[in-house]
Amino acid sequence: MKKTIALLLTLVMVFGLAASFPAYADDEIVINFPSIWVGTDSKAACMAKLVEDFNAENAGSIKVVVEEQTDYQAYRDKIRTTITTGSAPDVCILDTTFDIKAYAESGKFMDLTPYLNEGWGANFTDGAFDAWSVDGKVSILPFESAVFTPIYNTKLLAQCGWDHFPATYDEFFQFCKDAKAAGLNAMGQMAGDNAWSSMLWYSLLVEAIGGKDVYADGLDNPAFVKAAEALKEMYAYTFDGAVSATAGDVNGHFLSRDTVVYLNGPWWIANFYKEDNAVDGVLLADDCEVAVNPSFEGGLGDKGLVTTVQGFLAPAKQDDPAKEAAVVKFLQYITDPAHVSELALSSGAMFFVKYTPSPDTSVISQKVTEVANNAAYTILHVNGAFPTAFSTEFPAAVSSLILDQVDAQGFVDMLKDAIDE
Amino acid sequence: MKPTRSDRGPLAAFLSPALVIMLTFFVLPVIYVVVVSMLKWNGISAPTVVWFQNFEKLFRDKSFIRSVTNNIIWALVAGFIQVPLAMLMAIILSRKPRGWKFFRTVYFFPQVISGIALATLWRAIYSADTGLLNGLLRVIGLGHLARDWLGTVETAFPAVLIYWVFYVGYYMVIMMADITTIDTAYYEAATIDGASDFQQAIYITIPLIKKTSLLTCVTLASVLGLRQFEQVYMLTNGGPANTTNTMVLYMYKKMQDSNYGRASASAVILILVGVIFIVCIRAIFTGRNEEAAAARKRRREMK
Repeated sequence: MKKTIALLLTLVMVFGLAASFPAYADDEIVINFPSIWVGTDSKAACMAKLVEDFNAENAGSIKVVVEEQTDYQAYRDKIRTTITTGSAPDVCILDTTFDIKAYAESGKFMDLTPYLNEGWGANFTDGAFDAWSVDGKVSILPFESAVFTPIYNTKLLAQCGWDHFPATYDEFFQFCKDAKAAGLNAMGQMAGDNAWSSMLWYSLLVEAIGGKDVYADGLDNPAFVKAAEALKEMYAYTFDGAVSATAGDVNGHFLSRDTVVYLNGPWWIANFYKEDNAVDGVLLADDCEVAVNPSFEGGLGDKGLVTTVQGFLAPAKQDDPAKEAAVVKFLQYITDPAHVSELALSSGAMFFVKYTPSPDTSVISQKVTEVANNAAYTILHVNGAFPTAFSTEFPAAVSSLILDQVDAQGFVDMLKDAIDE
Repeated sequence: MKPTRSDRGPLAAFLSPALVIMLTFFVLPVIYVVVVSMLKWNGISAPTVVWFQNFEKLFRDKSFIRSVTNNIIWALVAGFIQVPLAMLMAIILSRKPRGWKFFRTVYFFPQVISGIALATLWRAIYSADTGLLNGLLRVIGLGHLARDWLGTVETAFPAVLIYWVFYVGYYMVIMMADITTIDTAYYEAATIDGASDFQQAIYITIPLIKKTSLLTCVTLASVLGLRQFEQVYMLTNGGPANTTNTMVLYMYKKMQDSNYGRASASAVILILVGVIFIVCIRAIFTGRNEEAAAARKRRREMK
């Protein structure tokens, strides 16, 4: 009896092991694609459909296998490790803007220039590759873009006694005082986790004070110190516990209608339309309006816009020409204007691909696009403009500033020390 | 018993798999880390040799010094507060009072929950505006004590450390297992002599587990204290103002920055601190004099 059970168990284990190895046709090319656009990501559903459709169209010849990774930091760590160890996946998503050129120069990624020159490049927005090409060669494609402009709750703004969004930061701080008097948080700040919201507000201040060439002198531009002073002042008008708060806290406060102004990328717009976030049947989107970054008295900024490349598509260098062609085919499919239009509609995200927006595009997305189109110039957010060490140090520098461990100059010095290494 | 010449072959055969595994998964990676600690390398471009520059910069970095200090405090608290607490619980429960099985399960239960889940739970408890702790303080009329526990320089590190100290179940069951092997005749004799429970614990239980499970638990707890990562990462990510940073978190952040040389240098320091800790713990628990006396006794016996 025992022998029979042992034999059965062995057989089950052997079959289990065999079943865990996916079966592919002998001549089928498999493209390995670890993706962050899965799970609760706003592009997840549409991306999954696009991959499924691509696989169906190329059944028997190409199969894209998506490795799902829902944690952004874990994804970045994994991808960096695979690239460092020379085993980069066939296609991956990169978002550490400052490292892109180093990756492109490493020779570990495919030269896409010939394919782009054959006409594919015309699908992308003008100048999309300028900042990311090395010696005229493009190996990493800028794909998802993002603009950062304030979105505010019109009802709450009215409760503060304002009928228009502040046009200058002097007005903005007056509005902050009025919001506090009305028992509301003017905006959400966070120094916990990656201090994302504070990083975005700091970027807006840096743009408003320093203008379009603010990054030309690195962190030596006095705009960075002045912006730090203003950022510190903002913390007096946010919710309690902002020093240890995370993005979830910032989002939660805006959704619970106790915070007037919200700042995040366009990928978050879809949440304004979710029934789950409605109160008494009124969608949050119905109470929201898009604003532009206020100007700063004496500042050099004038109708500028803070942007970033939210996602690059990076194909690994291939030895097999057939596989290289398959990877390019997949990238061309994903970046096809019709497919990008679907992605934009479903997620609210923006892209470096020229596409005709769907007539069903949300009103808020349209307004954000309008703000982007009217911008006189764009600058990257501070995390994108400096080496990764900047973004790693930023939360510590912000909390030090807010908790009076350092002054505004000390805040900038902390960031300088981090990136000087 | 000394191995004879004929024993050497089988001994080598038995030891070689473990030796190969040890070399492959421990010795070689450590050598690799030491080599990388002397390089300036971003993981993409070619590395350049900078010798001890990474170490020099480490010791000038206040954040790293704070990390080392935090880890040492953590290891000391683990070894000399958490483990004694566990020992106390083990001694009490080993006397098998009413409901001892229930309490053993309750104390051990947090060990089966992941550190990440516990950290998430405590993050919610410490939350400044919606946290249970502040809510409780307000209910009992101590609202003036409510604060952003994880966002204040003075309270962040104690807040991260204090909840963890009470998770004693793991060490408790190790010591309970050891205590149950102590011959009950010792306790019977002590009881006849009029020794109280406390005296029995001090003069019988603790001396008999000191060099076995107690030493093991102090070593384990201190080493775990030195390599703390997930709790801090989840609760504060080293903030505010780097006050809760630990060496492993520092290392992780340097890897995020693609500063592999500095990350490896901090790993080397971590290994050295770990070795120093283990040597000190062994010296405290076994005592150099006792070891020397034992060696002298062995030599006399051999003569």
